[in-house]
Amino acid sequence: MNLDWLDAFLLQGVFRVVMVLGLALLLHLQMGLARIANFGVVGFWGLGAYAFAVLFVKVDWSLGEPWPFLISMAFGAAVAGLAGLLVGWLIADLETEGVLVGTLGFATSVWILAITEQELTGGALGMGGLKFPFDIGKTKANELLWFGILFAVVALIFFYVFRVHRSPYGRLLIAVGENEPLAGSLGKPAFRTKLWLFAVGSAGMGLLGAIHGVMAHLLIPESIGINVTLAAMVGLVLGGMARVWGAVIGVILAVGLFDVVVQSYLPLPRSWYTQTIPVLREMVFGATLIAVLIIKPQGILGAMRRDKLTRRMHGG
Amino acid sequence: MDDSRAAATLTRPQILVKGATKSFSGRVVVDVEELLLGERPIEGLIGPNGAGKTTLMRMIMHSTPLDGGTIEFVQTGEHGNSVVVLSDLPTHRMAGLGVVKSNQVIMDFNKLTIWDSLLLASSEAKFEQPHRIFSERSVYRRHEGEIRAWLDFFPFADPTGFAQSAGEKKLLDIVRCLLLKPRFLLLDEPAAGLPNELTAKVMEAIKFLSDEGTTVVIVEHDLSLIWNICERVHFMAEGQVLLQGEPDEIRKHSTVIEKYLGKGHVAG
Repeated sequence: MNLDWLDAFLLQGVFRVVMVLGLALLLHLQMGLARIANFGVVGFWGLGAYAFAVLFVKVDWSLGEPWPFLISMAFGAAVAGLAGLLVGWLIADLETEGVLVGTLGFATSVWILAITEQELTGGALGMGGLKFPFDIGKTKANELLWFGILFAVVALIFFYVFRVHRSPYGRLLIAVGENEPLAGSLGKPAFRTKLWLFAVGSAGMGLLGAIHGVMAHLLIPESIGINVTLAAMVGLVLGGMARVWGAVIGVILAVGLFDVVVQSYLPLPRSWYTQTIPVLREMVFGATLIAVLIIKPQGILGAMRRDKLTRRMHGG
Repeated sequence: MDDSRAAATLTRPQILVKGATKSFSGRVVVDVEELLLGERPIEGLIGPNGAGKTTLMRMIMHSTPLDGGTIEFVQTGEHGNSVVVLSDLPTHRMAGLGVVKSNQVIMDFNKLTIWDSLLLASSEAKFEQPHRIFSERSVYRRHEGEIRAWLDFFPFADPTGFAQSAGEKKLLDIVRCLLLKPRFLLLDEPAAGLPNELTAKVMEAIKFLSDEGTTVVIVEHDLSLIWNICERVHFMAEGQVLLQGEPDEIRKHSTVIEKYLGKGHVAG
């Protein structure tokens, strides 16, 4: 297959956009529906990536391909899901500020563990040995196939979130997010609901983290910094936190514009790429977040429209 | 007819409040030594503002924790009494037992439509799990009939939209309670904020529920409603239940007149 037309840098950029989109969609369930501001997205993502990598690289597998790979993927998602259960249990009864600090603290703990547990993670030097579970020729072809797999996973996540809006579960999440005492008086267990929401969402984030690890080949602590959380959150808030399509539009606009258009097509000096651009990116994202919250707090798509949805589902 | 009525009375659940106390910043708001609710199908709880009626209701639902005492839910079955201590249960377990309360202040889910709200109240927990993303149709099919029946009975401007007025929100709160199929229904000022003709409809619905075997307790300031519908009235003042009896006894009692109704009320 001739893939000369495909710019490797562009592929990396698009991969990042779809990755952040997956995270933003999962965050949408927590923040947009159940009103839990999870600032620890990258913690679950990073934990999934490292759990996958440690099991895949450090264990002397006797099973044939592709089992070690698949088992490690599932392990990454499961570890992140369990962490979600634990974090969810800790923050489910807290106010917004407590949730913010708790989840942020969790993400920081994961980052610090990645640095200090050198035996397992390779510390600041990073952890190599990650490779694609297939080899179809050139690096570019392998990367393209892996991108296709990420795309399929994120499409599934989108489908799930889309269906949640149209299911009793979504209604429960909105009710718990809006008025917990009232939901409780209707017999809805708010605590358990939040716990499962966190477990499922975090497992999804962990799986995405493992997929990232494979594409990157090398896990370094810098890659699991706050900027991942920030990207997902900016995209979601920009597009409309309460809307399914909000995550899609917002992430494509924010991350797509910056990571693909600016980095691939703008004539920026080469020397900027390692130091200046990541800092610029965070500044632009931070400024965007503030601007959106001031000018259009509901995001581009605006508020949730359950009335339209109700009419579409159950007639006028 | 009479026999079935008697049977229904036997199986009607009761709530027993024992030594329940609650203070807010040192001031005793509720101090009820013993109170049995549900000896009759529909009972009233009246008293001046600040008597502790709403707090007592909230204590029964365990949405306000007790400082002391217990609250028990007593059901009489074929094999004797079964007693559940409500004050040990988390709030969300009440609805499962059939203990349901409507809210005095307006409580609503602003982002949910009226249909949403009613389907939420009706839906069983098993359909609300994270993996049940295709269960909307089942829930709708199971509950469409009863929801439509209530929507036909109570006029909402547009049930596929949001509850607009304070009145609609109040009514929605009550309909949500009815859909929970309560066995013991507490109504905290159901008439407040509702126009008269709607109040009459609410009372009609409550009588229907009561005939089906639900115990109803109403807290209300609109006393004509209490005298009309209740068969037993509890009078509360200063956190204590001072008097209990039939409506006619209570409305003529000197303590009630002195502390609540004021002189000249009986004549009217």
